[in-house]
Amino acid sequence: MPRLALDGVTKRYGDVVALEDVSIEVATSGFQCLLGPNGTGKTTLLRLLLGLERPTAGAIDREGVTVGSGFQRPCFYPSLSVRENLDVFAHVRDVDDGDWRERLVERLHLRPVLDRRAGDLSGGFARKLDLALALQHRPDVALLDEPLGALDDVASERVLAFLRDYADGGNAVLVSTHRIASFEPHFDRLVVLHDGSVIYDGERGDREPAAASIQEWYVDLVLDSGESPR
Amino acid sequence: MSLRSLLRKEAYWSRRNALGLLLVLCLLPGLFAGSSLLFQDVIPRDTPVAVVPQDETVTEEELLSVQFGLAFFADPVAVDSRETALGQLEREAVYAVVEVPHGLDQAGRDVTFRLYVDGSMVPFKEPSQTIAVIMADQLDARLDADVDVERVIVGNSHDLSGYLVPIALLGVVVLFALTYVPYNLSRERRVLDRVRLESSLEALVGAKLLFFTALVLVPIGVFHAAISLLGYDISAVAPGTVLAVLLTFVTLAALGMAIMVLTRFGSLGRFLNVLVLVVVVAFSGLAYPVGYFSALRRTIVRAMPTHYATILVRSSMLRELPMGAFADWFAGLGLVALGALVILKLSVVYHRRST
Repeated sequence: MPRLALDGVTKRYGDVVALEDVSIEVATSGFQCLLGPNGTGKTTLLRLLLGLERPTAGAIDREGVTVGSGFQRPCFYPSLSVRENLDVFAHVRDVDDGDWRERLVERLHLRPVLDRRAGDLSGGFARKLDLALALQHRPDVALLDEPLGALDDVASERVLAFLRDYADGGNAVLVSTHRIASFEPHFDRLVVLHDGSVIYDGERGDREPAAASIQEWYVDLVLDSGESPR
Repeated sequence: MSLRSLLRKEAYWSRRNALGLLLVLCLLPGLFAGSSLLFQDVIPRDTPVAVVPQDETVTEEELLSVQFGLAFFADPVAVDSRETALGQLEREAVYAVVEVPHGLDQAGRDVTFRLYVDGSMVPFKEPSQTIAVIMADQLDARLDADVDVERVIVGNSHDLSGYLVPIALLGVVVLFALTYVPYNLSRERRVLDRVRLESSLEALVGAKLLFFTALVLVPIGVFHAAISLLGYDISAVAPGTVLAVLLTFVTLAALGMAIMVLTRFGSLGRFLNVLVLVVVVAFSGLAYPVGYFSALRRTIVRAMPTHYATILVRSSMLRELPMGAFADWFAGLGLVALGALVILKLSVVYHRRST
């Protein structure tokens, strides 16, 4: 059975504990949100799920799931054009789905910059290229680290609508963010990470926020949990 | 004041890059100074020279007395036959072959020594005229017979510019392998996560090595075209040249890439590669014949695979010797290249396990 999960994972960098005994199973469908303050271990968690880092303790299960990644810092060949980047990584994965690539280019509004050198792109376009590369092979699970970083409001809405559609199409999207507001209308599941531990994991509607907004609820949750000795 | 502030920034930067600065400001100058001193004498005084009997009538005593006489300006080595000695001349194990005639102890008898010198070993060819004169004087004074020395040039004769062609070709390849390739790999750092996710680090370095090895054929072609246009009777595209150059490139590029992987594609890796470049250039006998060096440095040079690559390229380009004559050396270079690839693979495994 397909499974993408961390089981009792701890990750240390020298004396710094980035994650402490974290267990989380990423659903293989729906829109999930990994929320937490800066430096709380979100990126480390995603990198462990991607297999880019090895855990200090615990196990990672990536059985039968294809993953795609949008990185915190957009990750592509800066000296190649947007089109060449898409082409190179499509061939690396042996993906030859021209229609899907066309849809990605259209929905992410990349057409005007297709022949521009990727290193010359603005922050917003760089982010969108990174997303296109993450989704180009239609992964079962898209793990996206701060996918709205550097995007303007209009582009953010476009990207969110696209990601929602992608999740509704039978795939899973897990976004990591330190700002919940933009994602609030979209997520099906929310995981809150603080100081390297999961302090909340629930479906939409599992817990009615007592506060006036989900932002206030989240801030109270983090402040109430205090700081663990990391 | 902005100048003071920016100087402070340089101090912070230096503290964070202390290792790199140490390499550039201390280790490299130390290495340069050390290697310069290791040159010792520029005029060859202990050049290895083979001493062979002209025929079977030559006695052991005659050979010994000649060796004794040559020891003043060379490092004589007794060799059984002329064929063996000429083979050593081709492999640059010796820089001249002295053929000893019989009758050295017979007063008034005219004896002619033959001094065989390789026509492509240009730095030794010219001094060998002087050496022949010194040799005649030394042996004439030491022996009862009247000594004459006949200098014989073996193989194709070249001038200095021709001699420098294989050196320049190897120099370009060494520079490419240890500067451009590591720099190019360091540029991949920005996209490394995606490459590792979508493919693997092994595939990345493998593709790069394959691509750049194929690219090395371009400078080989350019050299061939240039020397043909200039009218030199030298071929840069002989199979032996191409094979030796490619094996050298694969070895050095694989080592350079392994250094980059182990240093996580940072500037430290590029510094270390420059250091390796300096060591390779200084200790491979690229330009200067190894026989001119001190015994210590000669031993170091003869432990360097690039030294043998240099001789292989020189032999193929200037002496036009067939590859088969150096089958053992080609096999050795192949093994060294294989070893470098294993080191590269291990560096990738280490990188994966240490993240």
